[in-house]
Amino acid sequence: MAELSVNLAGIKLRNPLILASGIMGVSTASMKFVEKNGAGAVTMKSIGPVDRVGHKNPTVYSWGEGLHNAVGLSNPGAQEGRDHLKDMMRTLSIPVVASCFADTVDNIAKVAATMLEAKPAILELNLSCPNTEDDFGRMFALDVKATERAVTLVKKIAGKTKIFAKLSPDTADIVDIGKAAEAAGADGLTAINTLSGLVIDVHLKRPVLTNKMGGLSGPAIKPVAVRAVYNLYKAVKIPIIGTGGVNTGEDAIELIMAGAAAIGVGSAIYYRGIDVFKKITDEMKEFMEKEGYKSVGEMRGVAHKS
Amino acid sequence: MQHDKPLILAIQKVITENARVKSFSFDYDFPGKPGQFVMVWIPGYDEKPFGIVKIDGKFLITVAAVGDSTKALHKMRVGDKLGFRGPYGSYFSLSKSKKPIAMVAGGYGMASLALLAQEARKSRRDVHLFLGARNKNELLYLSWAKKIGLKLHLSTDDGSAGFKGYNTDLFAKEVDKIKPEKVYVVGPEIMEVKVAKTCYEKNIPFEVSLERYMKCGFGICGQCCVDPTGWRMCVEGPVLNQDQLSHVTEFGKYHRTPSGKIIHYK
Repeated sequence: MAELSVNLAGIKLRNPLILASGIMGVSTASMKFVEKNGAGAVTMKSIGPVDRVGHKNPTVYSWGEGLHNAVGLSNPGAQEGRDHLKDMMRTLSIPVVASCFADTVDNIAKVAATMLEAKPAILELNLSCPNTEDDFGRMFALDVKATERAVTLVKKIAGKTKIFAKLSPDTADIVDIGKAAEAAGADGLTAINTLSGLVIDVHLKRPVLTNKMGGLSGPAIKPVAVRAVYNLYKAVKIPIIGTGGVNTGEDAIELIMAGAAAIGVGSAIYYRGIDVFKKITDEMKEFMEKEGYKSVGEMRGVAHKS
Repeated sequence: MQHDKPLILAIQKVITENARVKSFSFDYDFPGKPGQFVMVWIPGYDEKPFGIVKIDGKFLITVAAVGDSTKALHKMRVGDKLGFRGPYGSYFSLSKSKKPIAMVAGGYGMASLALLAQEARKSRRDVHLFLGARNKNELLYLSWAKKIGLKLHLSTDDGSAGFKGYNTDLFAKEVDKIKPEKVYVVGPEIMEVKVAKTCYEKNIPFEVSLERYMKCGFGICGQCCVDPTGWRMCVEGPVLNQDQLSHVTEFGKYHRTPSGKIIHYK
């Protein structure tokens, strides 16, 4: 019997699939709905310092070969975000990953401090949302020093909560950033965030998204995610949540073979429905039984041996 | 065929329904079942959900000028272009029987019910429409409703047409005479709550369309999830039947803003 449960930085997950941040994570009810549909853990929508409505629609659509979004980090602010997190942790039986962002390194530490009051199993530092350039400037995760400082500040106050740094693929070398996060004490990495892209509607002669630039997700970005996880796995010891374009069990296994300890799932809900978690875990089991793997851990990083 | 990338269509005709409401028709037979919706991109302003209407074979949307984006839309002319994604959401179910059905529509609710009314009339069923508005000029699609033979039960707040008062009260008074097999309800949430209460009391099956703020329209952003089931009003909804609705505790009580904050209805 293939065992799907994994240990992620000391936290036991019933299966390696984690709902990615920004997908479905608005309320306790929506997270519970995802749990019922088979996720191993869920990530709440990223929380910032203050109430933020985000960009005007269009904020999410399909460009044909994947999704494109610039929701703009809509969130109810740190205080209410922490209360939502507490409520989610009370109601769900799987781990809830908190997520936070801010305009400066000091502010992300402040938001993190508020979120940490809820004592989540994992706090993901969203150092790399591509959709707020106008008001937030360049993302931290493009900068080794800022990444290091953000992780250091948050690690100091983290208590038992594991700190993960979410990295952007829009950088010269994601490995440098990953190593900087590890050196600063991060317990894990999440790779990758969406890739920044632009789509212009030729009939209306203007960008589709109100924010113009937006994050690309879905199957088209999977090879970018696999490359990032593969290279990070060689360079760091801490576990990696591999995320980007996973639609099927084989996609998940591909990232695990590249070195991922757990798998983020997001846009796949669009492609295969809310029950995609159950579909992917069934497909993983089938593959593992056929190939003689008894646990997810046995498959981790095997592509590096070839 | 579902359009998830905006399909760009030029306005073919602008119809002034009344002082605040216009309809815009397009030369494209947009797919969609009764109760489903489209996300309409008003370039430079916003993207919002609207019910899919087909009148005299023409796909149209009906829009009240209430905010910046809908006011901008009202200024658009024949040939101007809009983007459309959809059809999205759950839809109304219609049995094969010949028994009468009833519809309760307020505000722009009729836009979500028009396709259903047409389908029911194709099989010559009696369709009782409880159409309510502030005054007689705001009763939507009235001449069309007469033309396809709907049995009209009009009400206006000022008494300028039909019953003076709310369509919910008129419905409660007359429903026993009609004995509808099912009731279909679309309008402001407070109106839907009242009709639902009447139907639960009288044990009449019903379906409502529950609107929540939407972003993606196809089930990933979580913005339109309702408590405590987490159902997405763009996938599991917006059309819910009486059994599903009984699980939605936020119905008539509160909704969420684009930032995810809860706002209670007064």
